[in-house]
Amino acid sequence: MAGEAAESQTVLVVGGGIAGITAAVEVIETGYDVVLVEKSPTLGGRVAQLNRYFPKLCHPTCGLEINYQRLRSNPRIRVLTMATVAAVSGSRGRFGVTIETRPRHVNANCTACGDCAKAATTRVPNAYNYGLDTVPAAHLPHAMAYPMRYVLAPEVIGTPEADAIRAACKYGAIDLEEKPRRFDLAVGAIVWAAGWKPYDAAKLQSYGHGRVPNVINNVEMERLAAFTGPTGGKILRPSDGKPAKRVALIQCAGSRDHNHLPYCSRICCLGSLKHAAYVREQYADGQVDIYYIDIRAHDKLEAFYRRVAADPQVRFVKSKPASITADDAGNPVLHGEDTVSREIYDRPYDLVVLATGMEPSLAGALPAKLAVDDYGFLVPELDPGSGMFAAGVAQGPLDVSMSVQSATAAALKAIQAIRGAGGHAAAGRA
Amino acid sequence: MSAAPAAASAASAGRRQYDLGFARWVYQHVEGGDKVAMCMQCGMCSGSCPIGTAMDHGPRKLFMMIRAGMKEAVLTSNTIWNCTQCYNCVVRCPRKVPVTAILQSLATVAVKEGYAPTQSTPKFSKAFWLSVARFGRTDERLVTALYYFSHGLKEGIRRALENLPIALRMIKAGRMHLGLPHRAKGAADLRAILAKAEDIERAERAGGKPS
Repeated sequence: MAGEAAESQTVLVVGGGIAGITAAVEVIETGYDVVLVEKSPTLGGRVAQLNRYFPKLCHPTCGLEINYQRLRSNPRIRVLTMATVAAVSGSRGRFGVTIETRPRHVNANCTACGDCAKAATTRVPNAYNYGLDTVPAAHLPHAMAYPMRYVLAPEVIGTPEADAIRAACKYGAIDLEEKPRRFDLAVGAIVWAAGWKPYDAAKLQSYGHGRVPNVINNVEMERLAAFTGPTGGKILRPSDGKPAKRVALIQCAGSRDHNHLPYCSRICCLGSLKHAAYVREQYADGQVDIYYIDIRAHDKLEAFYRRVAADPQVRFVKSKPASITADDAGNPVLHGEDTVSREIYDRPYDLVVLATGMEPSLAGALPAKLAVDDYGFLVPELDPGSGMFAAGVAQGPLDVSMSVQSATAAALKAIQAIRGAGGHAAAGRA
Repeated sequence: MSAAPAAASAASAGRRQYDLGFARWVYQHVEGGDKVAMCMQCGMCSGSCPIGTAMDHGPRKLFMMIRAGMKEAVLTSNTIWNCTQCYNCVVRCPRKVPVTAILQSLATVAVKEGYAPTQSTPKFSKAFWLSVARFGRTDERLVTALYYFSHGLKEGIRRALENLPIALRMIKAGRMHLGLPHRAKGAADLRAILAKAEDIERAERAGGKPS
């Protein structure tokens, strides 16, 4: 299509996490239109579910907030939440994209006053806290939600409770008649930023996640340590609410493992070092043992490793634990071999955190013909000249700052693709 | 299976001997030995072993010793004999190293090279083999007797008497028969196959082609 103008100069960004938000903001601030599609009721993705970022331990509000500001003040963007891409046809400059939306049952009149939540009696698992607690059937997805708007759980639709919720709203924001929708969009380029999901820890059979009490995974630990989490930010054992002072962190839980994820997820070492810092911040007498194969703290991140390692109450055990069982007191007990001393250990802890890795969200469920690598991650420039690009963890394990960089790069390529359509962008790829 | 390389030189007593060709030899000649190079020393195998505390080194350390060329220490280790082939380690190994096959194959090497085993496991293996090779099946009385008396006449009698009450109860319960040993239908064919295999192995060891 050399020389031809793109029929549509709109960029579709799929995924409203940190990568998708970044790509969208970069594109609109360059003067092009964006449709941002997010499958959950709010933007923010996994970053909104973090307690803090490594290595500086600042809060994810920082980063998200400024990007929300850039979205909010720009007329070039259209944000579609509870929406997914069902199908893609056409080619660069002239894609036809089919979008499907689920009903939120709350319209733009919502002021987030919370009266609907007070009227709700049913409680549903809180997805924001990975199901560690529950929320009313009418709820705000989380404190950093964008749009700042409540959502109704489908469980209550068609019940008298739903009518009570509607009656409680002073602004007429509850729409119980809203139906799923399906419609087509014309776009010129697509940025896939669908992100990741935590590897299912229950598949690590000998570690007993879901079977042995007080064995959690690393994303759950973020929620446990967060002020907006199920314990108000206190690191407590899920089984009995006692302080978790003796904590074991297990690295490579299902990563670098040919029985599970063969690759290194790149963030878990730093994530666990951060978790050690959380525990030590809260408990002066806390003791954290990090079980590792090797610690992968790259480049400047090594300084954070050194900082945590300098704490005499954080111990590094070079060992991949073999199994976890429960003792009579409800403590998880780690069994394995210390590969330095060759001690065969059986050690009880208050809490065990499995550093599970990242799996691509789209694995096995691609809505379009997209090139993937051996592990199911998208190839960054999906097909030269295709007008489709991958950003963030959709293209491979990255930390937040690297996701932002890859999203900025994808935004530039998407702009080249729609402007281009023929110009130097296509020539450069030849 | 060709012979493992001999240690380069007899070092003075007490000094560790490193045979740098040993690792390569294991990679090429031991069943699954090439996978020893895959081991990342995580400890999953030794930690998963139900009798890990009864092993002097455990598989993980043994693999490192192979890579370091510690031939003597590897082939005299009790790790290769204590493995019960439960496959816990094989199932869990993140690098898919066939731990049990390697240990078993190393035990065979140790016997062939004349290393004195640290425990009686090879005695039992020999008793088992004699029964299977001769009759095509294991006979519980034959294997037990061969194993007991492989410890010497006096020890054989002692063990036999000690276990006599169990044997009598088994006979009573119909779990042990009296009479000739169990025999497979094609026992003679099996013996011919084994003889042929031994021929091939001998020829290979001599460097010639199998007849």
